[in-house]
Amino acid sequence: MTLLSPDFAEELKRYSDDTALACFNCGTCTAICPLIDGHFPRKMIRYVQIGAKERILENAPELWKCLHCGLCTQTCPREANPGELILGLKRLVISHWRKA
Amino acid sequence: MTQANEKPDAPAAKIGVYICHCGGNISDHMDVEAVRRRAENLPGVTVARTNMFMCSDPGQEQIAEDLKNGTVNRVVVASCAPSLHEATFRGAIRRAGANPYIYEHANIREQVSWVHHGEAATEKAAVLVAAATAKAGRLKPLTPIRVPATRHATVIGAGVAGLSAARDLAARGIAVTLVEKSDALGGQLAALDRIAPTGDRAADLVNELAAAVLGHPGITVLTRTEVIATDGYIGNFKLTLRRRPPEGASTADARYVPFQGVRPPEPSDAPSGELTVETGAIILATGFRSYQPRPGEYGFGEFSPVITLPALVRKMAERPAKGRLLQIDGRPIRSVAMIHCVGSRQIPGIHPEDESGHLNEYCSRVCCTATLDAADRIRRNHPGTRVYELYRDIRTYGRGQEELYEQAARDGVVFLRFEADNAPQVTTAAPGEGFALKVKVADTLTFGETLEVPADLVVLATGMEPNDVSDLVEMMKLPVGMDRFLLEVHPKLRPVEMPVGGIFVAGTCQAPFDVTEACNTAGAAAVKAAALLADGQVELDPFVAEVDVDRCRGTGACVDACLNPGALALVEMEVGGRTVQRAQVTPALCLGCGACVAVCPENAIDVCGMTLGQYEAMVDAILET
Repeated sequence: MTLLSPDFAEELKRYSDDTALACFNCGTCTAICPLIDGHFPRKMIRYVQIGAKERILENAPELWKCLHCGLCTQTCPREANPGELILGLKRLVISHWRKA
Repeated sequence: MTQANEKPDAPAAKIGVYICHCGGNISDHMDVEAVRRRAENLPGVTVARTNMFMCSDPGQEQIAEDLKNGTVNRVVVASCAPSLHEATFRGAIRRAGANPYIYEHANIREQVSWVHHGEAATEKAAVLVAAATAKAGRLKPLTPIRVPATRHATVIGAGVAGLSAARDLAARGIAVTLVEKSDALGGQLAALDRIAPTGDRAADLVNELAAAVLGHPGITVLTRTEVIATDGYIGNFKLTLRRRPPEGASTADARYVPFQGVRPPEPSDAPSGELTVETGAIILATGFRSYQPRPGEYGFGEFSPVITLPALVRKMAERPAKGRLLQIDGRPIRSVAMIHCVGSRQIPGIHPEDESGHLNEYCSRVCCTATLDAADRIRRNHPGTRVYELYRDIRTYGRGQEELYEQAARDGVVFLRFEADNAPQVTTAAPGEGFALKVKVADTLTFGETLEVPADLVVLATGMEPNDVSDLVEMMKLPVGMDRFLLEVHPKLRPVEMPVGGIFVAGTCQAPFDVTEACNTAGAAAVKAAALLADGQVELDPFVAEVDVDRCRGTGACVDACLNPGALALVEMEVGGRTVQRAQVTPALCLGCGACVAVCPENAIDVCGMTLGQYEAMVDAILET
């Protein structure tokens, strides 16, 4: 059970461009991602979209698998810029490090 | 067992058989030429032809030619279903100067080539053609029934559909009585603010239509009025109305009351009590009511921040305010959860039935766009308020609606999707959580994870239910669907028509429609009613019961069996110097159902164009082929 944070989008603005809501959950980013790791990065983008901050922090190690090749950003049909969002989430996670 | 008055006039009948290829639809699946050869040898047939498309001009011309030069005087066309082209060929015969009722149709497409192939298809087509030919030999020229029609129409219900229909009818020169149960014009449209996706103000639409209707001298507007009895038939209905006296003082001017509509002027001499109206056609525009959630459905009635979409629309319109946060009932709203499909698309076994045992299994069609519009409006006017839409499917089907969906997403509306059998649950939030409520949902877009949406406001996108018109249904003998909406004869071939001649439907009494669609059906109903009454007389098909007075013994069995009161009666007449009772048909009221034919012990009554003798000949032909 995850309680959503309606203000998460505001909070994330300090770390990343606010593009997650452009995403319509098509999964192209996951299909093109060379990591072939579960639903990465689609699931993370979805967590951003709905404000599931807890789930992002719980799954933070996944973010560091990303090599920033940029394929997801290149292929995203909605220009939601998933690559940049992943980078922004890394910044968010770092700033929360040791606070928890 | 051919009846005496139905002697096969085979020597006189010269039957033409015309077999259609339907461009391959028929001829690709059977040997059309073999069917033609067999038809040629049937008794009474003088010519049997084929054509690539019988319904084409050259096809129809062929029939007309054969009629004009005397080659044929009975016509059989073997082609598609009669619902498609029977009227076409009757028309061709009429244009050739012959009686259009010397026509018989054999359906060799839907009943043959679309379901059988090869030899079996050829064989069945030959049998159907033989049966039709046998009947054609016994067809008599018939005369359509003409009844005088009152050039007046009555529209029941003064919502957007009723107002539109009344205006359109009056514009065609038909006098109109517009009957409305409430005391205002505008119906459910008046309860809205702006109409998605165009953004028109509902109040402007209501005011414009009401002004057109109230300003037209040919339209009599009767608010606070109900229909309490109906009588008569197409072109000649008689309605009894009951009008409640006004509650307030008389006024000379129409007055717009927000969210209620336009109250017409109340002259001091306005009629009240029982009134009768003689009218030629009736348009039912009785509309819908918004689904009222069950107590406890998504917390409705249990938690005050749970409201319906119509309530939200009204609250936002009554207290329009910009500001970072939406305010509802004086409370700042940081987060709104909007739940779709409330009271729509209900599934047996999942959703409980209402107290009368009904489930609304249909989609109400307008709530998705209305919800998206409200959500987008909140996001634009109150950027600090977050909006979550919890949906099963989004249906933004009309022009400009998909763009609205797109815009709502761009404006930051968050979409969560649930399964019907795992619906969201609305509960109060824990004291420390800062929000009034939370909505628990298993979100299929987040891989089925269970999420809790904090919400200061929960909005239920309630669907449409037809207004209860069981009294009118009973009085006018109207068909009602399983969904309780009125059923038109055929959605494509005879839209907005009720099977009872002269009665039409407009707007949401027929199905959930948006305002545009309601106006479209209102226009269609108005045009059909105006066309019907244009001549001051109505022509009806002559397929009605006919009594053979020589055989009738006045048993009255037919009168008892008759389904339409008034269509059949026993009357006194002189036969052989004695006064006896005999059955008599009122053709305009006869439905042509044949219930009387089945019960007559003397075989003294028949339905024209479908006589027992004709059917017996068809059965004989089928057995002999």
